[in-house]
Order: sequence, then C-alpha cells, then structure tokens
Amino acid sequence: MRIILLILAISFASISLVPGQGLGSPGSIKDDGRLAASTKQLNQFFRRFNAEESPSGEIRYYPGDSLYHNVALRQGFIQILFDNQTSSISKDLKTQFANTVLSNTYPQYINFHREGWISEVQAEFTYKGKREKVNLILKLQAEGLGFEWVIDAVSFEPFKKLFNKPVGEEKDFLHPLSHELGFMNLRRAFQDSKTPEAYTGTTFKPDYLTLFLYEMKLGNLRFQTVNDVRFHFFQIEGWYFEVNQFNRPGFNTGWLISNLVKLNPGDKETIQKYIYDQN
Amino acid sequence: MKNKLILFLGLFLATSVGVFAQSDNISPARKQAIDSLALEKVKDLSKYISIIGSKETQFSEANRVMDRAEELFAPGAEMGVSSINSNDIAYYKVRRYFERLMALNYDRVNISWYDIQYISDLERQPDGRYVGVITIYQRFEGTSIETGMNYKDTTKKDITIYVEKKQTQIAGRTIEFWDVMLGDVRVTETSV
Repeated sequence: MRIILLILAISFASISLVPGQGLGSPGSIKDDGRLAASTKQLNQFFRRFNAEESPSGEIRYYPGDSLYHNVALRQGFIQILFDNQTSSISKDLKTQFANTVLSNTYPQYINFHREGWISEVQAEFTYKGKREKVNLILKLQAEGLGFEWVIDAVSFEPFKKLFNKPVGEEKDFLHPLSHELGFMNLRRAFQDSKTPEAYTGTTFKPDYLTLFLYEMKLGNLRFQTVNDVRFHFFQIEGWYFEVNQFNRPGFNTGWLISNLVKLNPGDKETIQKYIYDQN
Repeated sequence: MKNKLILFLGLFLATSVGVFAQSDNISPARKQAIDSLALEKVKDLSKYISIIGSKETQFSEANRVMDRAEELFAPGAEMGVSSINSNDIAYYKVRRYFERLMALNYDRVNISWYDIQYISDLERQPDGRYVGVITIYQRFEGTSIETGMNYKDTTKKDITIYVEKKQTQIAGRTIEFWDVMLGDVRVTETSV
C-alpha cells in the first residue's frame, strides 16, 4: 500500500517537470505537485474512484486501455480520496470500504448517470425581506437529448414552522356527522382556526417545494447566493459516503470523502430521511 | 493567425463527421481534439486577462482586448467569485469582471498561471450541446507603491465550455465542425 502511495506521490511531484502542459506562456508557475494531487473537480473524483485516468489526470483511460479500472491504481486513488485531516473515519472502516469496492469477484464503481447520488446545496435567499438559509436537494435526470440537474426537494425553516399539526386533545376536528349539516362547520376550520392543517388526513405532508416555487413566483423569495455544495453517494452496495470540497494548504485537498457509513438494514432510508430533512 | 488555426482545427474535427453523426457520441480521439480546441480558447482568455490586468496596458488597448475576450464567451455568461474569508459568491457579467480587473488600484500588477489544468468529460445537455469544465489556476500579485502594500492570491478558475456541432459552406460543400464557446466561470480563492 505504501508503495502505491509513494508511486502516486512521485507521479504528482514529477508533473512539474513535464514540459508543455501549462497554459503556454513561458513564465507559467510550476506546480510543486499539490495542485496535481488535489481532486479538482467532482468529475476527477469519479475518474479517480474508478481508475479511469492517470495519476496526473492528463490521460483519460477508456475501456480497453490496459490501466482502465486497474486495481493497484484504484487502490492508490481511493486512499487519497479521503479527507485524512479533519474527518474521523477509522482506518479499519476505510480498509473495509476499499476491500468492498476493489473486490476481485464483484468490484464496484460509481457512475455519473446512474441513480444513487444527489447533491445538497446550501443557498441563501431573502424571504419577505429577511435573509434565510435554504437547503436544496438536486438530482441528475435524463431530459431531451442529454441530462440535467433538477431540484428534488427543499428544506426551509420558515415553512417547517408554518405547519405543526396538533395531536391528541389539542387537535380540532370536523365531527363525523358534519355532512348532515352541509359542512357548515368548515367555517371553524378555515376562518377561526390558526392550525387549519389539523383538519387534514393522517397522510398529509406539506409539499415544501411547491410552496417554495409559489413564494418565488409571488416575488416573496429572491435568490442571493450559494454557500456550500456537498454530494451524497448510495451507489456502493451497503455503503453511504459524503463528498465535500476541502480548500486548504497541502496535498489532501479538493473533493474528498468526509463521511463514510457501513449500512445496516434500514440505515439507508434513515440517512435519506435525514438528508431530505424529513425526520 | 488565430482564425486560421481555428479553421484548421474545425476542418480537422470535421474529417470523420460521418462516424459520429450516426450515434452523436464523442469518441476518445474526437474528445481529445475538442479538448485542444477548448484549451486554445482558455489560453486566449488567460492571455487577455493578463493584458487587461497589467498596468502597462493602455486604456484603449485594454478595451480592445476586453472586446476580444468577451467574444470567447456565450451570451449571458457570468463570473461567480468567492474568497477564502467568505463562501458568498459575487456574480459579475464577464465584461464587468474585466472592467473591475482593469480598475484595480495597484501600481504594479502581475498575473501568471500555473502549469497545470484539468479537463472534465463532456456531458450532453437536454438541447443536444455538450458541456464540460476546464480548471486552471491563476496567481495574482498587486503592489501599491504609496502604501507599500503587496497583495497576493491564487485563484482556481472552473471554466464552462459549450461544445456544439455546426455547419459551414466551403467551396459549395457543407462541412460540419465542432465549435467551442466559454460559459460561466467560477472563481475560487485557494489556500495553496
């Protein structure tokens, strides 16, 4: 394992010696290997995870190339794809994960177009004049001649506060013979009550995304900026991992795995509920 | 010279058009040719940024170069800029970004580029055009003689490229070629 890492380190460091790969000007700055080591795009995370490019990232490996999905290369890449500075993923868990994805009999890869990975975007909007944080969940879907990112869900605190269905004795209701009175008591639900959601069925769930779009169309919500982007992967059977961007000095930077969970039955759904803020 | 080069590359890219017209997939060889063309545009952009930012560039010349630089971009392209101290992204239209760069209050400005870049795969979007991202790194150094202040930063620039198949008539023949335009650019200050 150390030999693989050493080979990768030498490869990154020697990239500065290769002529003609800069932006062309003679005065370009030589990278000391740190930028080469950085996982600069999520695209590079995919390629490194699957061993579909050279250590420098300059050569793309395609099916049929001798190093395409090469196990030793993948092993080295997967080691450097973890945030090794701030995350508390145990060495043992990383090894178990690496053994799973590198299995001789059933190797597993991540795939850009396949379901099972989503993006979580933390953005800021002004809502009725006040700056508010919004969590958007985006997923990739086929559309027309290609693909597009679409908003799958939204988590927005002011909406969550808005719907609080009372339970038990606190809960108002329309009595079971209301129909005999032509539902004249609807007045109680729609005019007098501050919690009209009390009159909805047990399966009722507010659709925050529809509300979000509605408020935007009314001009009450205005986009300001994006604060943070992260990715959640469920493509490796029995595992979940999160990928974040690390912008810091050193060689362990860029898009890296910051969280890794070995899934027991039911864990996947629990994590998905947590990400979608449906708890 | 540049136009000749683009025409040459365009014709080069058009030579085996029949192969991919059926499937509309981009072969590895084609991808490499498109990468070269895209990288040429990014090189042009980096050269223009260095000229616009330089204090030795005359105002009229800077404006002319800004026009050239703007022509590299698809209409409506924006620069999204953030610093280490703030995750907030400030959005600028490309022209406005160049104008701000030109107006920076330093006596000496030096813009240089790292000898490394990363080119993503090309993905097809719903309208049939392909999109990719090229990442490059820029070092900026500005000096103010009066205050003695010396400001340095390194920024990562993730540049969108749009790749589209187009047609042109040359000597009565219809030639298909791949055209590359630059799109939105994400500028992130890095702590290299």
